[in-house]
Amino acid sequence: MMKTIPFRNCFFVVAFVVAASALLAQDKVPLKTQLPRPLFVGTPVPLNVPNLEPPMKGRRPDFMVPAGTLNLAKGKKVTSSDNNPVVGTLDLVTDGDKAGDEGSWVELGPGKQWVQIDLAKSANIYAVLLWHFHSQARVYRDVVVQISNDPTFNSGVITIFNNDFKGELGAGAGKDLNYVETYQGKLIDAKGANGRYVRLYSNGNTTNKLNDYIEVEVWGKPA
Amino acid sequence: MESAATPSRWAGWMAFFIVALIGLAVRLPQLNARPMHTDEAVNAYIVGQLLAKEPFIYDPQDRHGPALAALALPMVRAQGAKSFADLTESELRVVPVVAGTITILLFGAAVEMFGFIPSLLAAILFAVAPLPVYYDRYFIHETLFCTSTFGLILSGWRASQTRSARQAALAGVCAALMLACKETALLHFFSLAAAAIMFRFTSVRETGQTRQGHWKTILTAAISFLLFSAALFTWFGRNWKALPALLHAAPNLFARAAGQGHEKPFWYFGRLLAAGWSGRLLVAFACLGLFLIVKRRDASPYQWLAYYGLLIAMFYSLIPYKTPWLALNLWLPLTLFAASAAESLWRWGTTKFPQRATIPAFCILAAIIGVVIAHDTRQRVFLYPANESNPYAYSQTSEDILGLPVEIAELARQNGITTPRITVIAADPWPLPWYLRHFSQVGFWQPGQQGGDADFYITSTEAADQYADELRKFRPEFFGVRSGVLVLLWSPAPE
Repeated sequence: MMKTIPFRNCFFVVAFVVAASALLAQDKVPLKTQLPRPLFVGTPVPLNVPNLEPPMKGRRPDFMVPAGTLNLAKGKKVTSSDNNPVVGTLDLVTDGDKAGDEGSWVELGPGKQWVQIDLAKSANIYAVLLWHFHSQARVYRDVVVQISNDPTFNSGVITIFNNDFKGELGAGAGKDLNYVETYQGKLIDAKGANGRYVRLYSNGNTTNKLNDYIEVEVWGKPA
Repeated sequence: MESAATPSRWAGWMAFFIVALIGLAVRLPQLNARPMHTDEAVNAYIVGQLLAKEPFIYDPQDRHGPALAALALPMVRAQGAKSFADLTESELRVVPVVAGTITILLFGAAVEMFGFIPSLLAAILFAVAPLPVYYDRYFIHETLFCTSTFGLILSGWRASQTRSARQAALAGVCAALMLACKETALLHFFSLAAAAIMFRFTSVRETGQTRQGHWKTILTAAISFLLFSAALFTWFGRNWKALPALLHAAPNLFARAAGQGHEKPFWYFGRLLAAGWSGRLLVAFACLGLFLIVKRRDASPYQWLAYYGLLIAMFYSLIPYKTPWLALNLWLPLTLFAASAAESLWRWGTTKFPQRATIPAFCILAAIIGVVIAHDTRQRVFLYPANESNPYAYSQTSEDILGLPVEIAELARQNGITTPRITVIAADPWPLPWYLRHFSQVGFWQPGQQGGDADFYITSTEAADQYADELRKFRPEFFGVRSGVLVLLWSPAPE
């Protein structure tokens, strides 16, 4: 025999959920970043196909972050597995220039490479937005993004994105989807992960074996 | 055209032979390093058909003539290839390497036309400069076309001077080879003939002499041209339909000239030829040479070459359809203009200044030119042959595609598939037939067609959408075909 839930209890539960949502919603604002000028009309990526990230139609939907969230990476120190980039310098990764024209990117050597941004202080990170290269349709292989308070990434590592489905980088087999680079960049939900360092891996791309970074933004609030 | 510096015939040929050997040595290393361009893959596929004992079917809509395949077939057979799957990049690219080396050697036969020193300098430039070295390692028709053009110029000139039936017949063979390479031969025939007529007027005006009775020479050349063309296009009598098809060559050529996606501005070739310090130096010398030739207004073969060079440069620049390897045709007169300028500069230097000053100055200049040419050739031909920053790499197949057959073989092994069935669905699948040639069960379909069951699917990004149901249990992986062009490899998804 089923017990009926008193109407009064139901009302309080619903009222609590609505109030909590409203409070949370008040605290969140859309992430506002300045997008670069599109440099190519994107290769139409198939629609309705499993295991493949669908293309964005128009601008990306708003991504909500807590009010007061800032790009903590701007102008911060960048280190890399490749200290002698093929093209450009590491500071281009956080210089705020996302244009994608010649001279706006750093190109690291072939194969597995990483760049690491030191945010100077530990922070709660809500989103990482990255532009590898957007003047032509390219897919970067084995993109892995990690956050840690350990500059060597030996401990306390939080992986927020991993599409290395073969596990070639040693960070485990990833389940995130491959994506085609566009001027809108790749937005990764960091879910408030705490850390001072952000490390981004890649393993060549569909045009050559090199690894390019135009810009990386790390959106968060100091912890 | 004899100059004081002309050595004995034997010594002269020895010099050109050494330069040709240097050219061969520069062209041979790392022939398989650059991924196969789509055009190379199509030509390789045709050679594969010939290896399978099929005749060459001339298609004026979609293919060039049979000359490259006719030359390649015995050469790849001699290297042991028995089928399309046996072919390698190196085996095929040796064919244009040999044609390019013959072009260098032909400068030895150009001595009586252009003089020993200019011919030798031009041969050296052709042997080591980045543009000819780059495209002489490309399995397309352009190198052989350039060789045939030079052959026609030399034999045609000799035939006109000596009325030799043998030279006339040789000119006919060279012209037939040009047509059997590319339909653009028609533009060259027009330019060569127009230059000859203009030269005749100049010659009569300057010397007051007229030469009559060329008709026998012309008839011999024409008969030789027709017979050799018919033999090549009908694939030695096995496909007579090629002759009526050949009548469509000119209309198709003019239709294609409109661009077909390869439209470039008027100054495209100028910019390409002047790319890098070696290019700028060459173009500067060539412009000087051309200026001096036009200023001289004499009845030398250089006058004729100037007319021809200007006409062909004008045609290639005016036509919207432009691909960088066409610049090889401009290189031929350009090198001779540049070499002529160098010789004129030397003569001027030795008359104006003492030799003890002129010789070191020229040695320094030659060393500088040598260094910049060596630098540019190394960068463009050997270090970055497929790089997007390389001005000669055009619609170049990405290195990434090399990983596609490797990945399929590895995944087939992991899944216990001994003979993987591969379905390719793409509107333009090239150069995939080349990269999948080692798999025995590969089918190609157009988007919208039903491809049948397969262990692996390869689709263009546009086509995949239509096959969502078939691909539901497959995992996609992107591969780059060319700059901005991607395909998806769909392999069985892990359970």
